[in-house]
Amino acid sequence: MLSALPDAIGILLSFEGLSVLVLGTVLGIVLGAMPGIGSTVAVAIVLPFTLTMSQAPAIILLLAVYAGSVYGGSIAAILINTPGTPQSAATCLDGYPMAKRGDAGLALGWATIASVIGGLASAVVLIFAAPQLAAVALEFGPIETFALILLGMTCIVSVSTGSVVKGLMAGMIGIFLSTVGGDPILGEMRFTFDNWQLFAGFNLLAVVIGVFALSEVFVRASAPVSKVSELVAFKGIVLPGWSLWKGRLRNLGKSVLIGNVIGVLPGTGAATAAFISYAEGRRSSPNRERFGKGEPDGIVSSEAANNAVTGGALVPTMALGIPGDAITAVMLATLTLHGITPGPKLVDDNPTLIAAIFAGFFIINLLLLPLGMLLSRVAAPILRVREAFMMTAIVILCALGIYFVRGNPFDLLVMGGAGLVGFLLRRQGFPMAPLVIGMVLGPTLELTLRQGLILTDGSFLAFFTGHPIALVLALAALLALSLPLLRVLRAGKTHE
Amino acid sequence: MKFHHLIAGVLGAAMAATSASAQDFPERPINLIAPFNAGGGTDLLLRGLAPHFAEAIGGDVFVSNMAGGSGTVAASALQGQRPDGYQMAYMSVTVSTIQPQIKNVPYGLDSWTPICSVAASPTLLFVSNDSPFQSVDDVVAAVKAEPGKYVFGSSGPGAITHLTMVSAFAGLGIIDDMKHLPFQGSGPAIKELTAGNIQFFGDTEILMKRGDFRPLMVFNEKRIEGFPDVPTAAEVGIEAPLNELYLWGGLFAPAGLEPEVTATLEAACEKAVASDGFKEFAANSGTVIKYRGAAEFDAFYRAQYEANSKLIEAAGL
Repeated sequence: MLSALPDAIGILLSFEGLSVLVLGTVLGIVLGAMPGIGSTVAVAIVLPFTLTMSQAPAIILLLAVYAGSVYGGSIAAILINTPGTPQSAATCLDGYPMAKRGDAGLALGWATIASVIGGLASAVVLIFAAPQLAAVALEFGPIETFALILLGMTCIVSVSTGSVVKGLMAGMIGIFLSTVGGDPILGEMRFTFDNWQLFAGFNLLAVVIGVFALSEVFVRASAPVSKVSELVAFKGIVLPGWSLWKGRLRNLGKSVLIGNVIGVLPGTGAATAAFISYAEGRRSSPNRERFGKGEPDGIVSSEAANNAVTGGALVPTMALGIPGDAITAVMLATLTLHGITPGPKLVDDNPTLIAAIFAGFFIINLLLLPLGMLLSRVAAPILRVREAFMMTAIVILCALGIYFVRGNPFDLLVMGGAGLVGFLLRRQGFPMAPLVIGMVLGPTLELTLRQGLILTDGSFLAFFTGHPIALVLALAALLALSLPLLRVLRAGKTHE
Repeated sequence: MKFHHLIAGVLGAAMAATSASAQDFPERPINLIAPFNAGGGTDLLLRGLAPHFAEAIGGDVFVSNMAGGSGTVAASALQGQRPDGYQMAYMSVTVSTIQPQIKNVPYGLDSWTPICSVAASPTLLFVSNDSPFQSVDDVVAAVKAEPGKYVFGSSGPGAITHLTMVSAFAGLGIIDDMKHLPFQGSGPAIKELTAGNIQFFGDTEILMKRGDFRPLMVFNEKRIEGFPDVPTAAEVGIEAPLNELYLWGGLFAPAGLEPEVTATLEAACEKAVASDGFKEFAANSGTVIKYRGAAEFDAFYRAQYEANSKLIEAAGL
């Protein structure tokens, strides 16, 4: 593949190559920053344009929009507490408090650097270790994935600010919401009351936007005018200096690793990675006490991991022809339309194309830094409008985004309902992140649990006896749950 | 989909729409609905067809996506719409004839005006290339020797992949000795076939070529060009109706469309499907073009609905 690099660079440096690199990344960042337009939709928007392009630029355009949108989601998450994409939901947890404190520029700076490093590292891994990692992906059957998701679920505890009990209840609400619609194993309809609008379940994006963004609007609208806090002051991205990174590199490295590994496993995705990484940061970071109050490590955990997923997700896609998520599935379909058969022989049969794609992916991640800095400046004057206008604009943007995705007015009702429920729950001190985690992880947890039970003829114990990876992950989940308890016990002893 | 209403509404008001008659059709953009996500096979097919359809009909055509419920959300939404010819969905055999017979959906046999069929692809039963099974006989012998050991996958309950497996193994009389592992989409199922967690899967030729797989049988009237050595379902002893499984798809409008409008859409569809551009697209994407006009497609669709009710019963869905 390396011998094909000169030809590949030639493709990238052509007019078509350069323009898709830059325009695709710009478009990705902008679409990702729009609340409601997730990465999948962003990629779908540009898909028709790829049909007339040549092979490499078509895929690079999709990649640029993909990587750009994952990063772009953090801009809205930090500046207006509205995750542009579900994978940025964890970024809100520390990004927004930091922005409210007056450090919006710095918060975006952390997010940008973390995203770039996460993306670049995943590009390197993709280029040099794709075949080896693809073999790892094959080791992860339903049972291993179940254990991984179980571990992911433990982050409900760590993102439950205030009351863990209320956090667990919110998590359960999220899992319950995810069970509405078709049963994944039998196809029966659950909790749909013969209403076909519910056949597909609740739209995840509509719920995420509702409980985060809309409920925030309601909270602000219900506060007495005098108490309304000032909107975020933001003049542009401020990159964190080298000295600020002291003691944070370990967390960064860990987050990149988590993102990469989870990205490689089909059927998980960037939102899962961001939450698991955030939970790990909260467990192990030296600054863990400040998590949830605007701690840079929180932003770094989430953003480095979700961008590292992008390269990871390409591993099984390129090495095995197996798409890891809806976006890589679109890429495979695009390859097919351009007369290329994805599969295990893809890399050997098309060395120049693959070299161009990999090199292009590396450049896209480099471009995130200057383009992110440039584009977020555009947001600065927008944020200076009066709060009432801003809140109205957020509601309209969210509604447009949600409506655009499926063209279904029912999704707007779901968003409104989720906003109202989120508002009421928040007033009672329920954290909203666990609800989103429950809804993101719930379907995979259920599907893999039931798949596993089919494979083991109904024996849950057999999940762990014959599957060492699952056993290790389950033990890690147990440890993650008991760690806070152990800490309390130890602290109690030292006080005596 | 409703986006189009918005645009159409604005346009309509601006032009102070005159009386709409069938002769003027189409006087606004036509919406082709993909009942699945953007980037999926159905979506790409429609996006490949749309420009040629637009050219043939001399108006604007756009594709929208309304995914969910294995295609039933879009079909349910479309069945309640005015039959004006401005909205059509691309529906497969499963969305139009299988789902309404296994799920409580608000549409059924008489909800549609079929316009034209566009494509058809036989499905194959295949195994991993390192599998010990060389023929269907090997499979039957192995499953009977060790009941409960072997697992077949599907891309979801009630999907064409599921029906392929059920038709094959019910037809061979071994389905009660096997386990079914449903996935969400063909991608994860193909991964597990590679990894060995499932031993059998069934999908179209283009999907089978994604991996290192070996076909054992094809659901088609005769053997297919790419695999002349692979026997058909009937050849390995699968009897009707189970050997008649057939993956097809076409454009459907809500029931009660004016005959003139139907004829206009049908003519445009024929021209689009026969265009060089679409033929090239089909060759690249592995789509097998199968055009039928409105009357022929209507009769075919109704016969399939009937036949598939027997298939569903025989398969025990």
